[in-house]
Amino acid sequence: MPTSAPEPLLQVRGLSAGYGKIGVLNGIDLTIGAGEIVALLGPNGAGKTTLLKAVSGLLPRAGSVQFAGRDISTASPRQTVDAGLVHVIEGHRVFTQLTVFDNLLLAGYGLKRGALERQAEEALAFFPEIEAKRADKAGSLSGGQQQMLAVAQGLVRRPRLLMLDEPSAGLSPVLVDRVLAAAAQLRTNGTAVLLVEQLIEKALALADRVYALARGSIVLEAQTGEADLSNRLERAYFGSGD
Amino acid sequence: MHLRWLEGRVTFLLLAIAAIGLPLLDDSYAGVIATRACIYWILIAGLNLVVGYAGQIAIGWVALLTLGAYTTAVLTAGTVTPEISPYLALVASAAIGAVSGVIVGLPALRLRTFYFAMTTLGFATIVTQIALAWKDVTGGGMGTPGPVFPWPFDPGWGFYYFCLILAALCTWMTANIAKSRFGRSLIAIRDAEVAAEASGVAKPALLMTVFVLSGALAGISGGLFASLQSYITPDAFNFDLSVLFFIAILIGGRGSILGPLLGTILLTVLPEIAAPLVAWSTFLYAALLLLIVLLIPGGIADMLDYRNRRPLQQHREIVPQPALLPGLLDRPDGGTLALSNVALAFGGVRAIDGLSLDFHSGEVHGLIGPNGSGKTTTLNVISGYYRPQAGEARLNGAVLPFGAPQKRAGFRIARTFQTPRLIGGASVLENVMLGGTIDGRGTFAESLLTLPRHRRDEHMLRERALQALTAVGLETLAGVRADRLQHSELRFMEIARALTLKPAFLMLDEPAAGLSAEEIRRLGALIKAISRAGTGVLLVEHHADLIFDICDRVTVLNLGKILAAGTPAEIRSHREVVSAYLGA
Amino acid sequence: MLESIVSYGLAVGAVYALIGITYNVMFTASRVFSFTAGMLGMLGGVLGALFIDRMGMPAIVGLLLVLACGAVIGVITEIVAVRPVLRSIEQHLYVLSTLAFALLVAQFTAIEWGTDASPFPRLIPIDEGLLDQKFWIPMLACAATVLGLEFLYRRTLIGRAFLAIAEDSYAARALGLPEVRLRLASFALAGVIGALAGFAGGEMLLAFFGNQSILNFYGFVPVALGGMGNNRGAVVGGLLLGLFQQAANFLVGGIFASVAVFAVFIVVLLLRPEGFAGASGARRV
Repeated sequence: MPTSAPEPLLQVRGLSAGYGKIGVLNGIDLTIGAGEIVALLGPNGAGKTTLLKAVSGLLPRAGSVQFAGRDISTASPRQTVDAGLVHVIEGHRVFTQLTVFDNLLLAGYGLKRGALERQAEEALAFFPEIEAKRADKAGSLSGGQQQMLAVAQGLVRRPRLLMLDEPSAGLSPVLVDRVLAAAAQLRTNGTAVLLVEQLIEKALALADRVYALARGSIVLEAQTGEADLSNRLERAYFGSGD
Repeated sequence: MHLRWLEGRVTFLLLAIAAIGLPLLDDSYAGVIATRACIYWILIAGLNLVVGYAGQIAIGWVALLTLGAYTTAVLTAGTVTPEISPYLALVASAAIGAVSGVIVGLPALRLRTFYFAMTTLGFATIVTQIALAWKDVTGGGMGTPGPVFPWPFDPGWGFYYFCLILAALCTWMTANIAKSRFGRSLIAIRDAEVAAEASGVAKPALLMTVFVLSGALAGISGGLFASLQSYITPDAFNFDLSVLFFIAILIGGRGSILGPLLGTILLTVLPEIAAPLVAWSTFLYAALLLLIVLLIPGGIADMLDYRNRRPLQQHREIVPQPALLPGLLDRPDGGTLALSNVALAFGGVRAIDGLSLDFHSGEVHGLIGPNGSGKTTTLNVISGYYRPQAGEARLNGAVLPFGAPQKRAGFRIARTFQTPRLIGGASVLENVMLGGTIDGRGTFAESLLTLPRHRRDEHMLRERALQALTAVGLETLAGVRADRLQHSELRFMEIARALTLKPAFLMLDEPAAGLSAEEIRRLGALIKAISRAGTGVLLVEHHADLIFDICDRVTVLNLGKILAAGTPAEIRSHREVVSAYLGA
Repeated sequence: MLESIVSYGLAVGAVYALIGITYNVMFTASRVFSFTAGMLGMLGGVLGALFIDRMGMPAIVGLLLVLACGAVIGVITEIVAVRPVLRSIEQHLYVLSTLAFALLVAQFTAIEWGTDASPFPRLIPIDEGLLDQKFWIPMLACAATVLGLEFLYRRTLIGRAFLAIAEDSYAARALGLPEVRLRLASFALAGVIGALAGFAGGEMLLAFFGNQSILNFYGFVPVALGGMGNNRGAVVGGLLLGLFQQAANFLVGGIFASVAVFAVFIVVLLLRPEGFAGASGARRV
């Protein structure tokens, strides 16, 4: 077990969640330190997206979620966001009828006007590609640009932990690198990232630590530098052989 | 089962005795109220099938009462047509009601709930406006006299008995329908339309039949209402009445006959007892409606249904009995379901891209792949929910037309769903009996009158469903309402429903999701046994261990194409598969 | 005759359009079709007559009070009839709960105000002109509302938040938009618009409790035809409906007009259930 994890920023204990009567997660324990990049891997249907939703309050859940010293076990998404934990949901769901900049302003809804515009500019500065299109409707962006916009939306509030759900899905390799590079850049500001990714190698290259989820439980936790990681992952995924 | 049957009968019997004996009180005012309750019930009994069973929010039903009332009144009065007997006029009202029922009901086939509700409301508004404006016929705001029925059902107790007989008849007939495969199909349309389709329920035909019946009863009710009022004006048919009909059903509880009957009696009698409240009655009905919607959606029927409040055993185990499967499925050998070059795109995204696949009876065929690889899409193409742009499907060599999910049951293709589609308000047994719907031979009319063919159907479906429930290990829960089951039990219940169709091919969409390890093991054994009994099983699943355990063949999809196909052992060691799964 | 068809038709049409917008404003923030739109319009007329005629308030004070009442009713609708059922698994319960609430208010009005139509005061003390105030006030109210909403949606952050929720409420929730407060605000706004519709059209439609069902239906027709949430469709549809109704009234009589409107409504919905401007349905399995 790694012991070098920094002071925990997010601490999840015994988290269970699901949809109606269908339980998806059973008793998840997970920790993320300040400024740490953690990859969350696992096969389809393992419950990765469900886990992010349960942490951010988009799904009802049981168990304990502590964030930056606060108990957010029963917090609404709005309260979670206020606490500094932002969840960028999968599928670059930006508001296509609104302009790029309006999308960013909405991401900081509730902030004071001056601060809001400043922080929106700041988030936009991460992605020069879309800065040029700030006055265009988000619907006119390409899929990759929409994903950048979605990530930029996540940055407007200067979160302490950013949860990214499959930011690479449907993007070309170049764009994947751009989006993931932005995540790496965040680390230098002290922002922690929890990354759900299908592209394992890219995720491993970026992350400090990795959790693997299968059938609703954490089946593996490791530092990315550990030996034989990909074989252990494979075994963890297919659930046989151990 | 028998106790419940008895309880229901006893209540109906007591009501009947009280109703027949009412004239002994020699209170003519009580007679008027009781007559009114009977008249209302004739309409509500029919409407109950629409609202309570099929779940269609028909709120403007007063329009049909209006039409019936004016038809009978005008035909009897002879001001516009030659004068005819009120009894014949009543028949004409039923016909007009039936036709209007179809007109009002037609939009329900295509429109969403609120639109349909609004359509019925619009119809009611317009019928009232016409009644006011068409002075030559309806007398406009002045109104027109109601019909007087001649002996033996002349005004007073004679008319009361006439209404009572009709009301009793309606109770009997709608109860018959409720207990038939048609009633189960209606509730399925209400609670789980997709499951109804997959079981082969033809929604348009069934709904239209029910609208005809309900419209005819409303027409008759209108004719009787005109007679009871002795003089009718458009004012008599205000929206309050629609609200009363509607609320009587919701207070009574959806999916019940007795509940709405009690609701009708309650709402008719209550304002008479509490005279000062009469002015407030509709206000109170509206308040009651709000409270019911917010607090007790189940209504009276739920409160009476104490059997389903008894706690279930806490730790229940599902123990399938695969040995029963060959007897239940009774499949002749051989059969192939083949897809060739099927392509389907949504917008610009190719969900499946030139897919060719063969499924054989007697085998478990696993379909795996990452998210968005086209597994569920393939399943939805086979079961008719999606219509591909290219390619074809053949069942035993004959072309299987794309689209038309409600026709798949006829080809003996059954399926389950990612999220179990349960008919929450019906018992587990009824849920499973739905699966055999298409094997019923009797018509709606035969069920209405419980003729022999109807009874044979019911017996056959019940036996088959019980057998299927026993095979999957749920027989002890047969009488329990389905929404009380645990998630894993619902998964097995869906399989039982599919087995009741005696399917040649069974498609399972992530049946193991949310199950415990032990349950997955039993599920695996069950699925394997189903295939060995001669049914071809197509299994879409994320649990790789289950797939590798029980499949005879596995196909791996990626981006809508076949990445690999072979035995589980071949797939397990296939490098590309492993990396697709791991996403390297 | 043409003159009165046009002026009366456009004025009634403007009221229908405003009721249509009332449906839209509620729908946009909650995806709920609420039966309370017609009731709000009815209240606008009744309360206007109550404040100005019976209580003798100046017209402008009466107007402001009516709008305030509309907002309050809107907020109560959200709290009592919408919020509790949105949580329920059973969809479409809101059809029943908003219907019940609308009936509750309408019945209360019928009891306290009476079921007969009462006259509505003239708002501006001038003589009847060629294009009388009872015709131009509704048109003005409609135009002002459309412009106001345009400003709200294009220029303010809260307006954009409404659009965001309308487009993708899940994404809006994930971003931390205060969904509940925004929904409350939109119901209050809808209350104001609905009450304004009844107030502006008061002299034409009178202070009459029966207006609730009429406005409910005729206000919904343009929305259904134009596509839910589409305000432009509601305005165009409402004005056309008003003109058509008046023309038919004058030329062939009221029965035909009612039947024709209903027939068009049903036929169009059967052919295009999502309206002329709407998108098609969602995935079911």
